[in-house]
Amino acid sequence: MALVEPISKKRSGLKLFIMTVFGRSYPRLVGMQRERSWIFFDIFVPLLSVSAYVFVYRAIGAPEDYVGFVVVGGAMTAFWMNILWNMSSQLYWEKEQGNLALYIISPASMMAILLGMALGGLFATLLRAIAIMIFGSLIFNVSYYVVSFWQLIAIFSLSMIALYGLGMMSASIFLLLSREAWHISNLATEPVYLLSGMYFPVKNLGFWGSAFGSLIPLTLGLDAIRQLIFKSGPSLGFLSVKIEIISLIILSIIYLIAAKFLLAHIEKLAMREGRLTENRR
Amino acid sequence: MENSVAINTKNLGRIYKIRNNRKEKFKELLALENVDLSIKKGELFGLLGPNGAGKTTLIKILTTLLSPTTGIATVAGFDVEKSPDEVRKRINMVSGGETSGYGLLTVRENLWMFAQFYGIESKVANDRIKRLSEIVGISDRLNTKSSDLSTGLRQKMNIIRGFITDPQVLFLDEPTLGLDVGASRDVRTFIKKWMNDNGERTLLLTTHYMVEADELCDRVAIINQGKVLACDTPSNLKKTLQKEAIFNINLYAPSGLEINKFKNITGVKNCVLSQKPESTTLDIILDEDSVLSEIITEISQQSLRILRLEKREPSLEDVFIKLVGQKIEEA
Amino acid sequence: MRNSISLRSFISASWLGWKIESNWTDPFLFATYSIIKPLASAGILVIMYSIVTDQNFNNPMFAYLYLGNAFYQYVPAVLSGISWTIIDDREHYRTLKYIYIAPVNIPLYLFGRGVAKFLTGSFAVIITLLAGFLFLKVPFDFQQVNWLLFVVSLILGILMLALLGLLLAGITLITARHSYYIGDVVASGLFLFTGAIFPLEVLPVWIRPIGYALPITYWLELLRRSLVGNIAKTFPTFTSMSNLDLILVLLLTSLIAGLIAIFLFNKCNHSARERGLIDVATNY
Repeated sequence: MALVEPISKKRSGLKLFIMTVFGRSYPRLVGMQRERSWIFFDIFVPLLSVSAYVFVYRAIGAPEDYVGFVVVGGAMTAFWMNILWNMSSQLYWEKEQGNLALYIISPASMMAILLGMALGGLFATLLRAIAIMIFGSLIFNVSYYVVSFWQLIAIFSLSMIALYGLGMMSASIFLLLSREAWHISNLATEPVYLLSGMYFPVKNLGFWGSAFGSLIPLTLGLDAIRQLIFKSGPSLGFLSVKIEIISLIILSIIYLIAAKFLLAHIEKLAMREGRLTENRR
Repeated sequence: MENSVAINTKNLGRIYKIRNNRKEKFKELLALENVDLSIKKGELFGLLGPNGAGKTTLIKILTTLLSPTTGIATVAGFDVEKSPDEVRKRINMVSGGETSGYGLLTVRENLWMFAQFYGIESKVANDRIKRLSEIVGISDRLNTKSSDLSTGLRQKMNIIRGFITDPQVLFLDEPTLGLDVGASRDVRTFIKKWMNDNGERTLLLTTHYMVEADELCDRVAIINQGKVLACDTPSNLKKTLQKEAIFNINLYAPSGLEINKFKNITGVKNCVLSQKPESTTLDIILDEDSVLSEIITEISQQSLRILRLEKREPSLEDVFIKLVGQKIEEA
Repeated sequence: MRNSISLRSFISASWLGWKIESNWTDPFLFATYSIIKPLASAGILVIMYSIVTDQNFNNPMFAYLYLGNAFYQYVPAVLSGISWTIIDDREHYRTLKYIYIAPVNIPLYLFGRGVAKFLTGSFAVIITLLAGFLFLKVPFDFQQVNWLLFVVSLILGILMLALLGLLLAGITLITARHSYYIGDVVASGLFLFTGAIFPLEVLPVWIRPIGYALPITYWLELLRRSLVGNIAKTFPTFTSMSNLDLILVLLLTSLIAGLIAIFLFNKCNHSARERGLIDVATNY
């Protein structure tokens, strides 16, 4: 009798992609279940932080819609955080821990691994975003004025696709990084909040400032969502919702293709320079 | 490419560019130089060398983690640089002392997760986890969080991770590092059975344990400072020393000895001194038995006392000493 | 002997922290990274303010929030610098167990490791202040500054933050490595309560007591008073209290916070040893 029977069939293609996404998201889902201190720090505390910005507006006597802007901005931040900490800079930890090498030598696609990390963290992200939306809206009496529900869904979905595309693109850079990963991640927090108009209508950065900020899909997504759910939204919007939808479609396509290309390219570069397994600390 | 060849390298070389700090210029470090190897399907091939010899670099290249600076390498018929995706479908790797996996997951969950990355259905994966964990001896720890495992158990988990995907070519980089004698023996027995089960499987093992290489490998390459110094079956390698006489002399040398005087004697091929608190030992390879009398004369001239003198059969260790000039742990 | 161990723990940890923090790149890039984040963070508030007030930077409210935000950067820097050391040493460098078995005073070692972040934080604070004074009409008169009050408050505040950092380090000892920095997250949460960017009166009455209980609130007020006393006076929160009163309250609240921090750190430390968590790797 054989020691262990040979495997008659291994999945490949799309099925392998899905299995990989699920496989890598599993540790995150289970880990969060087993170690729950994140609930306080990842859900409750951000709510406080968002509130601080609401009270700044209250202190300087801003129109009430601005409070809503902050709440929506705060909720959307959660997705950026997910990309930044659960996907991109997580790769740095994977490298340090020796998992990255095992991912690379497996037939699984790096995009699937990255998506798995993000998807696993998405549960916490959604909870955080929903908590900020619900509690923020209730506590601060935010009144919504939804123009088009379908456009809203389209905008949100497109923003997410483009955002995660951008996330995977930037993750590829993390394949090359060692300690500077921390600093890059830090650079991608407050400066990104500023550029994407997380707490104010992005239009205020001026046309070129807003256009530059729009390279981050969060910017256009947020701007369009504000236009679609607040009364004063359209007057404070950067571009019309239609143009923003088209821009997001273009960004989604570009970022997804670029992510695939960049991941492959940088993996090759990292192989050449011996950076996939190095430990420069 | 012949179908019967599992791993093939030609003029394979790798240079690392390193510097100690940002102000220094990069220095080139030759990790591998003109490595030509051809490993057949079904072979259990050993790479034997001291730390820093280039074993791990070679494994990294063959597992698509590192590009060679010169030459080419193919695994399972595919170029590691040009077709890494094809190579990856067919390989797996286990390294000694690795810390992979996720601490908050149990052993079973970690193994299941890695199986997913190879497209192995959950049922098949779970069956294999069960079977392999019984063989390796951690079936009672499958539900333990991997952060709670001892070093040895963790390594056993890693070993299962390598075998669970049923790779055509498996790379084991110092797999018994950190395992105790019993566990190492279990792993070696398992490796042998695994290879005997299926003639299509190929295994490349790196180790610096001579006995491990001698016991397991069909063929062995001795590697030092990036170069392959010899490559043959263990018995053939040992035969190269059959003309020579190998002696192991245990001495009483309270005030040390002058090793160079022994090395300078005509007919001494190699002479290695091991000093331990309780004894001083000379491992000497001589052209022929008759040189021994001069060795004994030198011993008495240095006022040393022989405690034990033994003539023995050549071992891989002796082959290594002859090729490298020192013992593997000293190289 | 004890003193020499404590001093050595602190100094060698400071040296180590600085090496880790700074040696990965050249000084120029390091400075750039250290500048962009704080300036962006201030930029958000500046834009929020200027949109609503039509760029009325002369209003005392602007100086209030600008200075509060600038000095508040010390909070995440010190809290993270000290608490992250646990994760860094435990799961990244895997040296925490060796630190524990060495003749080292652990709290002082952690404080030492936080020094590097304190220094980069100071750099960020200075840059933010300079930007405010030079470009945004934040009033600053070298002659008017109460330097003694400033220095005393700053030192007291940093010590207080270090003790809060120790508390978070304790919590970190018994929790997993999550994707965030606990110090940054807690700092961002406390932002709401401490009157950093708006006077406490803006908060609902039932939330204000939290602010009054936190030493950070008094610390920020003291810094504002020492630098721009006339601006601080325009806000009613602490008008009934003299500088000395504030210092005493800061001392008292810091003392209470410090005692709680040391107690909790010791408790968590004990629990971590009991549960075998000193060398755990909790990645997931």
